[in-house]
Formats: sequence, C-alpha cells, structure tokens
Amino acid sequence: LGNNRKILVIDDEAHIRRIIELKLKSRGYQVITAANGADGLDLIKTEHPQAVVSDINMPRLDGKTLCQMTDPLKKERPFLTTIITARISPDEEAWVNQMHCTQFMEKPFSPSKLLERIDQYFESERT
Amino acid sequence: MDLSSFKEFVVSLSQLTRLNFEVWDAEEGLVFFSKNGNSAPPPTKEIQNLSAQVISGNAFQEASYRDRYTLFGAPIRRGEEVKGAIIAYDSNLRKGHAFDPGGASDDFHKKEMAPLLANLSGLIEEKWASQEESKKMTEEMTRQFEDLYLYSRLASQIKTLRFSNVMLKNLLEELLGTMRIGFAFAVFPEREQYNAMYFDTQASQKVPSPHAFVQSLLSAIPRNAPSLKDNYFIVNDSTEFGRFRKLHPEPFRFLTVKVQHAEKSYGWLGLVSFNLEEIFRRSEMRLLISIAEQVAVVIANTDLYRDLENFVINVVKSLVFAIEAKDHYTRGHSERVNLYSMLIAERLQLEEGQRNALHWASILHDIGKIGIPEMILNKTGRLTDTEYEVIKNHPKKGHEILRPLEQLAPSLHGIIHHHEAYDGKGYPDGLKGEDIPLQARIIAVADTFDAITSDRAYRSARSHKEALEILDKVAGKQLDPRLVEVFKGIIAQKERKH
Repeated sequence: LGNNRKILVIDDEAHIRRIIELKLKSRGYQVITAANGADGLDLIKTEHPQAVVSDINMPRLDGKTLCQMTDPLKKERPFLTTIITARISPDEEAWVNQMHCTQFMEKPFSPSKLLERIDQYFESERT
Repeated sequence: MDLSSFKEFVVSLSQLTRLNFEVWDAEEGLVFFSKNGNSAPPPTKEIQNLSAQVISGNAFQEASYRDRYTLFGAPIRRGEEVKGAIIAYDSNLRKGHAFDPGGASDDFHKKEMAPLLANLSGLIEEKWASQEESKKMTEEMTRQFEDLYLYSRLASQIKTLRFSNVMLKNLLEELLGTMRIGFAFAVFPEREQYNAMYFDTQASQKVPSPHAFVQSLLSAIPRNAPSLKDNYFIVNDSTEFGRFRKLHPEPFRFLTVKVQHAEKSYGWLGLVSFNLEEIFRRSEMRLLISIAEQVAVVIANTDLYRDLENFVINVVKSLVFAIEAKDHYTRGHSERVNLYSMLIAERLQLEEGQRNALHWASILHDIGKIGIPEMILNKTGRLTDTEYEVIKNHPKKGHEILRPLEQLAPSLHGIIHHHEAYDGKGYPDGLKGEDIPLQARIIAVADTFDAITSDRAYRSARSHKEALEILDKVAGKQLDPRLVEVFKGIIAQKERKH
C-alpha cells in the first residue's frame, strides 16, 4: 500500500515526528518531515506528497493556516491532510469541514489508528 | 535495521580513496557496493567466497584474485554475532597489472588494510547500534502513545457515576478492540449479574464455554503468587505452567487484575489471547490495574449512592406513615393513588425515569397535609373559606418539605401541581391543559378516583361505576380527558377480570 506514496509529517516536536515517521515507514510509505508549518508548506509545493500529517500549534505558520493555504492546491493535485489537535471543538470542526479532504485526529492519538486512517484513504482512492 | 542504510557513508568513503567496497549480509548476501568511475567489473565469485570466509571465521581475511590483486574482508558484528562482512579491493587494478606483494607499488597491503577495515566495520557497528537504540526508543514511545490513547478512551468510558452493565460492556469492548487480545472478561463473585465476557470470533471458537474457562483460569492462580500483592497475575505462555497448560489444548497468555478499592475486592478484570507472538507488557498491566481501580471506585460509589437512596426511601416512607396516622380517612390513600398512577404509566408506556419520578410523586402527593391541623383535616362539616385556603396550601407545603431531597427533584412538579385543573381553574398556579406536567395530570385522575371511591370525613364511599360517571363529567374541566379515557380502560379491564 505504501509503494511510491510520499507522506509529509509536520510537527515541531522531534519525537512525535519520529514516532509517526517510523509507523508510516513500517507500511512502506516514503516519509519526509518538517519541523514547522512554513517548511511544511515549501515541501508540499516542491515534493507533492500524497498525504500530509500536521500538528495544529506550530511556530512559523500553524496547522490551520497551512491547511487554508494549501487547500486550493488540492484542486489540481488532491492529497489527504490529517490535523492532530488536542481537542475537537465545534469551531475547529466548522473550518475543517470547509476544507477539501481534511480530517482530524484527537490527542492523545494512537499511531496505529493514524496509519489505519491513512491506509483507508489510499484504499478508497484506489477503488 | 539493515546494512543498506550505510551505503551513503561507505560510498563517500570510497570516493576519497582508490578502494571499492562491498557490504555483505550474512543471510541476504550482497547489500550494496561502491563503484569508482573507471573500475573494472568486480570479481564477484571471489568476493562472495571471501565474505563467506570472513563471516564464518569471524576475522579479518585476505584473498588474491588470479594473482593480480588482493581482496580484503572484515566482519561486521552486532554484539557477539557476525551479521555481515565488508570487503575492500583496489579499484584501479586492471587486467595485466602486475601483482606486487610487499613491493613499492600503490597497492594496499594487509598491514594497513586490517586496521582500516576494522575501524570502518567498528564505525558501522557503532552507528548500527545507536540506530537500533533510537529505533527501540521510538518503538517504546509509540507503545506509550498507544497506551495513552487507550487510557484516555477507557477513562472516558469509566467517567460515570453509576456502575452498570452498559458501562462494563463499553469498557470490555474497548479493551478487546485496542489491546490486541481475543478475549476480555469481568467477574464479580458477589454481583454475578454484572459478569461479562467479550471475545473476537477466533477466540469464541476456541472457547466454547467461556464462563467455565474463566472460572478455571481464576482458580488456577496460586494463592501465594507474589504479584497478587500488587493486584495482578500474568501468564505469558500457558505451556510453561502445568496448572495453566491443562486448561486449554492451545497455548494462551492471560493477564488478570483485581477490581479493588480501599482494601475491598469486588472481582477480576482479565484478558486472554491465543496469539503468543506478543506478550503482555508491564505498561499494559499497569494500565489494566489502574482501570480496575477506577471500576472499583465506581462500584463503591454506586453502593454508597444506593445506601443513600435507601435511606431517603425510608425517610419518605416514615413521612407517609406520619401523614396517614394523622388523617385516618386517608389511610391507604397514598398507596392506592400510587397504584392507579402506575397503572396509567404502564398504559402510556412511560420510560423508567418518568415512572420512577411518578412513583414517588404519587406516594408523596399529599405530604404537605402534614402541616394542616387535624381539626381541619378531619372536619365533618363544611369548611370555612380560611380553612379551605389552608387545605389548598398543601401542594406547596409538600413541595417545600421535599425540596431538600435531591433524589426527589424529578417528582416535585408532580406534587406541587396535582391540584391544577385541565381548564385552568385549579391551584396553586392555575396551569391549563398540557401546561400541567403529565405527572401531575396522572396523579389528579388517580387522586380524584380514589377520593370518590373511599370513605371521607364528609361522605361515604361510592361505587366504581358511579366514580367513572363523575370522572366523565369532569373530564376536560378538572381532569385531562385523554387520561380519563386511559383510566376508564384500566378499570374496565379490572372489572372484567373479577
């Protein structure tokens, strides 16, 4: 499933990046990482990942702004964005619903559940 | 972890020298090779032989190739074990180049190659070890993330005031879904109604009688097992323990923890799996212990709550007794109004919460009469206006008396409004129609019927037939006509039975 699929992981905490990276690599996904939203944005534009996993609170461009800035790009090249957030409030739900192909995971998150959700996305994309 | 991650490092080293390198895995064979620009095709067979010799001999080796050049090899180890070999040879040697052992040519020689390769494989070993360490740490952290997630999910399942089968069901299903096990159980010897087991399809085939199996597991636990002091017991492979091995033909692992709080033990929470590729980890055991503790707290709270409820019920019963002792005409009235009200509730198919509230409201509807002087309550003649006002005050009085009892809060509006009339001419608030709470409208029907059919200070009892005629007359005025119809149906059914 992971064959030739590139996933970008954006989080300012190195250990969380590493955990997600390792989990995704265990399924054969290619993983690239960024430690803040601005670097993440550059990588989305240059590396064209098929999925992005991003924290919400980050230095230099937070997850929400990143989502809103990259949403128009999805028209041409769709990709899945998974936002990891401490609490899913009605406000957050509202803006996420306006985005294309964007989902939430609540903290504390389960790395295996994250992998499952990403697998599901590619699975459904294939059919 | 595999050796291919060192390719970049080795290739760049190769570019600094005239050396070509190849790295071989003890099991998988050639992992990668570095290639300098103009090098000749590598003597594949000789390299393969040398790498096999290095790996089996666990030492530096050299071999010559057609007497023209020399291959050098050193083992790559992980701890005591040889995992592979690194082979080096001069990339510039071509056919026809004379081999010059010990001569002054540019050839690399054993005395310099041995320490070079030893250092190189040492570097690889070190890097390998630290990468593995880092991977292990990340894996451990991943497990902690999973545990944390699981704990937060489970904690929200236990965040309830009352212990119930539903709560237990959610908890066990969550454990089954997240703990990579086949079978989760909860056993409470003194509350067997709560015993519960959940399993996946595979485990359900393997364990045809789960209750008996769980009982056999629990009785096989040695009484003096040291871990019981810490409230748990683990068997990670049943075949290692005679007493567990015979409980099931297939090997299984088993973890159980005591549901215990404040020295009081309520039962066991446990997990069983037939997949021995994994084991129960300490973190999972600790997680289950803390879950079991919380379950015990919820059970203890439920017991306390029930005691409190019983206490309130007893207080209320004695209040009813007090009011009925005062007014001998109404003896048994509360019970009858309660009986009629509950019959109506049943017909209307009210849900349990509403029924419970109605139960207490109907028993206690006249509790406010406790404050009315006996000479007014038991007066045979016509009441004066002032006396009537005193009587009319009893729904409010009852409300005041019972308000401090939190458990009765859902019953209060039934009590305060049971003398409201459907046409709005009742008291205390003159509510009309559906504005009057259903509870109060039901009690009003039951209350009116019982008042007509029993002896009162001012008149004697009348027949059911007469009472129903009166109810018909006041339907839509004093009483809810729909409820009067329902009630007539109930009485008619009762009469037919007699």
